[in-house]
Amino acid sequence: MGSEDDVGNLIDVDSGDDDYDDGNSDIPMSSMNSDEEYDFITKDPADIDLLTSQRTQKDYTILKDEDIRRRQEDDIKKVASVLSVSRGAAIILLRRYNWRVSTVHEEWFADEEKVRNAVGLQENPPILQISPDEDVSCGICFESYSFPAGIRAAACGHPFCRTCWRGYICTAVNDGPGCLMLKCPDPSCNAAIGKDMIEDLVAPEYKEKYCRYLVRSYIEDSRNIKWCPAPECECAVEFVVGSGSSDVICSCSYGFCWKCSEEAHRPVDCDMVAEWILKNNAESENTNWILSYTKPCPKCKRPIEKNNGCMHMTCRTPCGFEFCWLCLGSWFEHGRRTGTCNDFRTEEERKFDESERREMARKSLVRYTHYYERWAANQSSREKARRDLHHMQAVQLVKLSEIQCQPETQLKFISDAWLQIVECRRVLKWTYAYGYYLPENEDTKRRFFEYLQGQAETGLERLHMCVEKELNTYLEAAEPSNDFNDFRAKLTCLTGVTRNYFDNLVRAIENDLADVDSVGACSETSSKIADGSSNQ
Amino acid sequence: MQASRARLFKEYKEVQREKSADPDIQLVCDDSNIFKWTALIKGPSETPFEGGVFQLAFSVPEQYPLQPPQVRFLTKIFHPNVHFKTGEICLDILKNAWSPAWTLQSVCRAIIALMAHPEPDSPLNCDSGNLLRSGDIRGYQSMARMYTRLAAMPKKG
Repeated sequence: MGSEDDVGNLIDVDSGDDDYDDGNSDIPMSSMNSDEEYDFITKDPADIDLLTSQRTQKDYTILKDEDIRRRQEDDIKKVASVLSVSRGAAIILLRRYNWRVSTVHEEWFADEEKVRNAVGLQENPPILQISPDEDVSCGICFESYSFPAGIRAAACGHPFCRTCWRGYICTAVNDGPGCLMLKCPDPSCNAAIGKDMIEDLVAPEYKEKYCRYLVRSYIEDSRNIKWCPAPECECAVEFVVGSGSSDVICSCSYGFCWKCSEEAHRPVDCDMVAEWILKNNAESENTNWILSYTKPCPKCKRPIEKNNGCMHMTCRTPCGFEFCWLCLGSWFEHGRRTGTCNDFRTEEERKFDESERREMARKSLVRYTHYYERWAANQSSREKARRDLHHMQAVQLVKLSEIQCQPETQLKFISDAWLQIVECRRVLKWTYAYGYYLPENEDTKRRFFEYLQGQAETGLERLHMCVEKELNTYLEAAEPSNDFNDFRAKLTCLTGVTRNYFDNLVRAIENDLADVDSVGACSETSSKIADGSSNQ
Repeated sequence: MQASRARLFKEYKEVQREKSADPDIQLVCDDSNIFKWTALIKGPSETPFEGGVFQLAFSVPEQYPLQPPQVRFLTKIFHPNVHFKTGEICLDILKNAWSPAWTLQSVCRAIIALMAHPEPDSPLNCDSGNLLRSGDIRGYQSMARMYTRLAAMPKKG
């Protein structure tokens, strides 16, 4: 659990961090020399702990299966006791109003009759008053049964035999979540069939299935609870709508955006993520490549890539068509007429447009590839870092603790470093999508963005390298290393510095790089750095 | 299987007893298979189907009455909710609004009601639906009447 909480801290940066970051929020760290950076971070490591603890204010709650069931049960009890109705009726009412207890109360006390009619909980006297031991005909199989042994009816009184009820309910449960709104089988009757009656009549497997639908409905109909989208995770996340960041980390450690259910993507917004994912999935980029580098065979229309040689092209068998690469005319006609196609024709202009279009398509493809490669590389690097983190926690930590004679609790800084890397890779990945969509004509913004991104990336690479490579020296050592404390200090520093770089980058992007608009932003920030560091 | 057979047998006996209960509907069970039925229904009055007699084919599933019977027109009919070629019928009670308390007899009544009150917004026969939706009632009625005369009335002479 501890490590999961930590991930949460990293994400929730905007909830409680203002007091910590105020002084240096606009500082591009690069303008300090490196000694100063380390100084500034290491001076008071307690500060960092303080900061992490402040960041634990969460805007969301993870609900496990038992939590969900307990909450649902509480809501049902509340409604049942306030309205003095049965549990079954309370469930029907809650479902109708998307499990909002307050809405149920409001609607009910505003116009009870209307609500009863809408959900099928009428209090009319039953259609059929059956006296005991009378024979009654079932409305489905038309057989006669003695009452009450063989016959059941909902509040409306329409009589059906137990076997037919069972068949009716099981069919509905098998058909899906619609069984939660089951009505009396009589076509003209809208009396609701509640959970109590269903549990009384059907086999356990159907009861269970019905209950699962009920739990699902509790989550899926609710506005502020969603399932965690990770495969095989059964948790749900309740979100305080209106709070800052919508990034959420489930207890299964999967991070996702509460708004769009995609993987967590701060600082980039949901629309951009959707567009980027669509772009990555779409065949459009392949098409673009084919357009830029190939021409269709004039006969069979298969795309052909010309990789070298002369203009005399021969399409693959079975087509085998021979043509000129330049004018796409048949090679034989071509040769017979002039031997070449160098004579200028009005078509030439059209062809020029064509080549210009190809060039543009090629350029846009190269541009996309640049960003996509970096996006994807950071993605896989992040996955690797996650695996490394787990390996470190499961295997290396014990070993290192033995070799270096350090209690495991004092090695937390290594986990922190890895967690920072995992988070930074994620942010960095999305900044490449951001970079792709940053308008090309916004030159100042672009340079500012690339500057911040570059700084962050450099910091991250240093950190990643340090924990990946240097740690090995201490793992392979035969006896406690003298400089292990130096390593600790260095790694802690790098972690802090990298976090700062990324905080700046995230803030700048969330601000839509607005800082470049203020004149002399650069000089201002550099003077702030001096203040900031001296204050520490 | 047993339940559906028993229930169909009940319906069969009911039909035999009440033969004249509804003069517009004549339900007949297949001689050798209780899961196959045909019905002859009269086109409702004051509709373009008036005067016609339409044949329906019922195919009853083993899960009946928990599952609805499959019904189609054997007689050609020009109606927005009936497929012009296959005779398939688009009617909610034959799909998701089915209730096991319906019977073959009540399905026939529902189909007669559908003939009188077409639902042009969910058409199986788009030509017919479009005529109604564009407000060309005369066009719809004369087409429907023509097909009634061609397919659903005894040939003269």
